[in-house]
Amino acid sequence: MRPIVGITSYVEHAAWGVWTDALAVLVPHTYVEAVTAAGGRAVVLPPDDTDGDAVRAVDALVIAGGADVGPDLYGDEPGPLTVIRPGRDQGEVALVRAALAADLPVLGICRGMQLLAVLHGGRLHQHLPDVLGHDKHRPASGLYGSHGVTFAPGSLAAGILDDGEVNTYHHQGVADPGSMVPTGWADDGLIEVIEDPAKRFVIGVQWHPEEAGDVRLFRALVRAARIR
Amino acid sequence: MSRPVIGLTTYAEEARFGLNDTFAAVLPLAYVHAVHRSGGRAILITPDDPDVDVLDGLDGMVFTGGSDVDPSLYGERPHPTTVVKPERDAAEMMLLRAALDADLPLLAICRGMQLMAVAYGGRLHQHLPDVLGHDNHRPTSGPKFGVHLVDTKPGSLAHAVLGDGITVNSFHHQGVADPGKLEPTGWCPEDGVVEVVEDPDRAFAIGVQWHPEDTNDFRLFAALAAAAAARRSSAVDAR
Repeated sequence: MRPIVGITSYVEHAAWGVWTDALAVLVPHTYVEAVTAAGGRAVVLPPDDTDGDAVRAVDALVIAGGADVGPDLYGDEPGPLTVIRPGRDQGEVALVRAALAADLPVLGICRGMQLLAVLHGGRLHQHLPDVLGHDKHRPASGLYGSHGVTFAPGSLAAGILDDGEVNTYHHQGVADPGSMVPTGWADDGLIEVIEDPAKRFVIGVQWHPEEAGDVRLFRALVRAARIR
Repeated sequence: MSRPVIGLTTYAEEARFGLNDTFAAVLPLAYVHAVHRSGGRAILITPDDPDVDVLDGLDGMVFTGGSDVDPSLYGERPHPTTVVKPERDAAEMMLLRAALDADLPLLAICRGMQLMAVAYGGRLHQHLPDVLGHDNHRPTSGPKFGVHLVDTKPGSLAHAVLGDGITVNSFHHQGVADPGKLEPTGWCPEDGVVEVVEDPDRAFAIGVQWHPEDTNDFRLFAALAAAAAARRSSAVDAR
């Protein structure tokens, strides 16, 4: 029996097949494929306004990428370039809190990593070029960049990954990881990985391993779900 | 008491949203909304890597709309207008058979109802306008949905949930020609098209040809959620 891995999802107007414009629940299939390749069974968790009880049906959680996290969640006003989805925030906050309370293995990706930081009392940079003076983390609209990343010796990340290049597509970043521990950094010093060493497996990464076809983090997540 | 968890089958298709154009797992939010409004918790079941292990954590299933069912599954060649997604067919047929074996409560909608008929040995009309001489079930102009009546059979599950008859929305160009071992329990009175099928030997197994998720009438979803909750509480009691 494979561990069931829930993937959080976007809610966006979308076009596919005979649908020219429908409000839809969706997630790039690369997340599903990464979970499958890692030996898990993917299901997609739509956001919901009630509670996080859906974690009962899964053995692990992937918090997917997407729009910016609402700055209200960390007590800031939205910046001019911040694009938010309050309904998704609300649904994911409930799911992630329930997953953390149940000590479910959690992998946060991009926005998912940022949400983990915020839910642990952290804060975000709302537009990195304003802080870093360069746009290497998102070179252009729709275009991935790449940069080096190094991991803290002895960390969960260092046990799964090797220092090297990662793909990148984000304009916000973790300013303060709250009670999460930073364990990976980009060349320019930006936090790229956060972990909660008090939990069995809670890790967030700022890049997109699913787009790179790198299943190591997904495999580690599924392994943690099996041990549970 | 937490909500029953309802699995919904999901499209895997090239989708455009925002700046993205990517292969995606995607489903109209209306299905999710209907499940949540009816007391269930929706989880989307993708058609990749087909295996039935995912059903273990579920209390009920919705087989959703989508492309045409592959006619090879009922021994026919494709009509020129037939558009199929064989991977989705394979995964959903496997899930449907396993859900029926486990007597998991299930609601099948449009394509889902047609898949159910084929799973029970039935056959489809591949293009209704060829058979009926009209396109009321999927208008080619005007509003997206057609509108027509459905009469239900007294004593059926459909009748218990919906009453004698209802006005429905309609968006399909294929239809059930032969429901196989399923019992037809609802029809369009204007042209006789089968609109509801059931398996009376299951706790809750019903397929409808229209799109209740795109209306404000969630009685079928509420009935599914109630059957799923009942199954869940009896499973908890047995533990």
